[in-house]
Amino acid sequence: MIGERWTAYWFVLPGTFLLLAILGFPAIASIVDSFGSVGSGGFGSAYLALLSDQRFLTASFNTALFVVCVVTLHIILGLAVALLLNADIPFKWFFRVVALLPWTVPDVIGGLIFRFMLDPLSGGVNAIAFRLQLMQGPYDWLGDPGWAMFSVIMAETWRGYPYPMLILLAGLQAIPKEQYEAAAIDGAGRWAIFTNVTLPNLMPMVLIAVVLDAIWQCRLFGMIFGMTNGGPGDATQNLSLFVYRQYFQFFETTYAASAAVVLAAVLLAVAIPYIRSTLREKS
Amino acid sequence: MQHGKGFWLFVAIALFVMAIYNLMPFFWMISSSFKTDIEVTSYPATLLPQAFTTDAYARIWAQEGFVLYFLNSIKVSGGTAILSATVGVFAAYGFSRFRFQGRTALMATLLVTQMLPGVLLVGPYFKMLSLVDLYDTHLGLILAQTSITLPFTVWMLKGYIDTIPVEIDQAAMIDGATRLQSLVHCVFPNILPGLVATTVFSFLLAWGDLLWALCLITTPEKQTMTLGITNLVGQFRVLWSDIMAATVIGCAIPAFFYLLLQRYLITGVAGAAVKG
Amino acid sequence: MFTRKNKNLAMGAAVLMASVSMGVQTVSAEDITITYSDWQLAQEGWGNSLRTAIAEFEELNPGITVATEPVQLGQRDVRFTTAIRAGQGPDVFALDANPVRQYISAGWVLDLTPFAEAQDPAFFDDFYETSLAPVTVDGAVYGVPMNTVAMGLVYNQAMFEAAGITEPATSWEEFSAHAEALTDTSAGQWATTLVLAPAGFDLRAPSIFHSFGASFLTEDWSASALDTPEMQAAFSYVVDMIQSGVVPPGVTQVDANGARRLLANGQIAMTIGTTWTIPEVSTMNPDLDGWNTLRIAPLPTDGGQEISPHTTLYQKSIFINANTEHPEASWALVDFLTQRAQMERWFDDNNMLSSRRSVNESYGPIQESPFASVVSEEIQHGTFLPLIPEWPRILDSFRQNLQDAVTGTKTAEQALADAHAETNEILGN
Repeated sequence: MIGERWTAYWFVLPGTFLLLAILGFPAIASIVDSFGSVGSGGFGSAYLALLSDQRFLTASFNTALFVVCVVTLHIILGLAVALLLNADIPFKWFFRVVALLPWTVPDVIGGLIFRFMLDPLSGGVNAIAFRLQLMQGPYDWLGDPGWAMFSVIMAETWRGYPYPMLILLAGLQAIPKEQYEAAAIDGAGRWAIFTNVTLPNLMPMVLIAVVLDAIWQCRLFGMIFGMTNGGPGDATQNLSLFVYRQYFQFFETTYAASAAVVLAAVLLAVAIPYIRSTLREKS
Repeated sequence: MQHGKGFWLFVAIALFVMAIYNLMPFFWMISSSFKTDIEVTSYPATLLPQAFTTDAYARIWAQEGFVLYFLNSIKVSGGTAILSATVGVFAAYGFSRFRFQGRTALMATLLVTQMLPGVLLVGPYFKMLSLVDLYDTHLGLILAQTSITLPFTVWMLKGYIDTIPVEIDQAAMIDGATRLQSLVHCVFPNILPGLVATTVFSFLLAWGDLLWALCLITTPEKQTMTLGITNLVGQFRVLWSDIMAATVIGCAIPAFFYLLLQRYLITGVAGAAVKG
Repeated sequence: MFTRKNKNLAMGAAVLMASVSMGVQTVSAEDITITYSDWQLAQEGWGNSLRTAIAEFEELNPGITVATEPVQLGQRDVRFTTAIRAGQGPDVFALDANPVRQYISAGWVLDLTPFAEAQDPAFFDDFYETSLAPVTVDGAVYGVPMNTVAMGLVYNQAMFEAAGITEPATSWEEFSAHAEALTDTSAGQWATTLVLAPAGFDLRAPSIFHSFGASFLTEDWSASALDTPEMQAAFSYVVDMIQSGVVPPGVTQVDANGARRLLANGQIAMTIGTTWTIPEVSTMNPDLDGWNTLRIAPLPTDGGQEISPHTTLYQKSIFINANTEHPEASWALVDFLTQRAQMERWFDDNNMLSSRRSVNESYGPIQESPFASVVSEEIQHGTFLPLIPEWPRILDSFRQNLQDAVTGTKTAEQALADAHAETNEILGN
């Protein structure tokens, strides 16, 4: 590559410094705090306590399930809608705005709205199901552990899919038209063009969308906080909510920090191969 | 590429399905915002308001400060979007165009900073802000939001810049352009769709934030719209129609900005430049 | 004649008084601003009363301006603890009894005893001993109590009459029979609901367990008492009641506000509440005519026996931030807000009882109120939830296990056994 050795740093360092200036101290402070003692234990005892904390294990499992389902749905829906919006259609601006709308709802408020829609008595979902005669009495969606998890996944799918959609839509715009034209001249069908031209060109952006969305969903707090607050029981409690509870409700800062550090470490371990493959040079 | 009638019919139907899916909760929000307080919580629920009323909107309008909250939100979100796009585009260019020591490590570090949840960071950050007397200011809030949006912005923009052939910058530099000029004149126009995506991302993130605004802003006149709406949800009284009305207005503003920006979501000139 | 000790004390008090009054003088010369934060500022009715009071205070103290910072109850500790840990935060603020011990043990609030004693050695004599208990540690008083109330059964008299019930239940067996009679699912009417969401769980559900004679912890708060027969009886009673269909669906998401809304809409006939429930529910639905239709009765007990304590106490107290730069002005505000006249206003405006004995026992309107007389009697049969820093965690574990039993994820026995084990683990046993 172009080799001005020091120029690169001039481009990269302002952003990096800004980030470290803002987050460096808070991050180090909480990591140091996470090794403090909990109860009668000594150095690092919070980590030991986590291992036997059933609520922490449930929250970890919930987070994993939630992230896998939501990211998969986001990418599928996002890609589909991005492809639709990439076609040259009348009223494109209208559909583009509509496609973005769910994402303009702040996540805590999105959670509140879904809770309200799923309210057994005054909610819209039961009202429609009742009118379609799908059910006899009111059904308590968020009162059933399985349905509650399904509902938060569906709600976050709705609210969050415009994010990967937008990344992919912008990515589609960068695919050179000549490649499509060349493929068409070769007589390739629509599916062949999609698999041979669109997907390979879009793949780097799909990977980036997966990585960024996954990090985002791991941190997700507002949607679940507003919708179920982790309930019923701890059926929908994820790690962010667990950390929030420990920190602000129970005043257990060390314990909260250690849970967050574990989350970060796991996330990092899962993310590294992805980061590697997104950074790998196209030869 | 030629498309048959069947293709367009399929696209049209699919787009309408998407629109209905996206708009359903909005239908419920808007319908509820025109109901009375009693009707909105009645059983069985009504799908459309029986006694149509605009009281909720009137209350939002009359409520001291709500207009101010919208302005504050626009300021904070706009500031965050501009700051992270500006700083981000330089960093992304650097990561995309140069191979230097520690590049992979730095890129990874950017993401690592996002793996600790805000709940933990907000306390120490507050302490820092109060040392430099920046707490309870919009600048402090913008910096906090930027620390979240910046890594995402850099990663996204780097992805877009990677798709622009290096030959474009090289051609410009052979013609005597500096690095900066080639970034501004050659790369910039080509990544406009990506810039729109990242700007919208940063704007919406700051728009929807609750935790940082809650902890960093104490003066009621400085609070943001999202905080204002959640304040309608009390332990003592939840004003559903008001929340819905405020949310509808709250969504309209970013949607409008996006409407202005979406025209830049078009193919850049990269293809043409490569040919030339 | 002064003994030596008394003389020293008197001199100490005089010096303190002088310094306090001097402080106020320098303060008034400088025109200082103190901040006051209270979750009740975030709500219309309460907020208006507080703002009126603060305006009066500013008029009486020309050098002091009070900036108010409303905060939602659910967001209060998030904001306060973040700011206080960083050396900031409002100068004066209000807390309920739950987090008080945490704030005191972390050193976030000032010891108010010197201020009070300098002003009047008998300052705290008028307050109920019960009310001083949560704010007192090792003889030092950290907060001045403002309102104390006990939870009771709030019911809709008109719905009772329609169902042919003349008197509210005195035993839980009778309560079940009433619940059966009051439920008419096809008409969208249920007997009662329970607050099982976090917001408001602390005061309401625990009252039922207390009224079975059960406690959450042993008397010294060192171990779980969730394995007692009383607790087992109460726990399975609650789970059975919810599963019998006398509460509207969605009970796991019902918070304090949700329960009041159901009562206001006539969807339920009874709920656990207290004096503030009356104005709140009445404003929610003026057609209900809450001041005339709603009544308050003591909670039923197990078998209708005399059980004491059989209900839970709520209390709001006012504190001074340890970070404050204006302790004297802050104390002046604390003192003003908790004076007799202000507490009478709280009753007039918000139907809220005082933590001062003299107000509850001699203020005319309180004596005449059918709501206040019941609740003020119940204060003597009430208890605060355990006042230990681990309590919020124990309560949440209990709440989640109760939800698990209600949704059928666990059996009632299993859920209670799990809660017992978790509680002991949290307490380090």
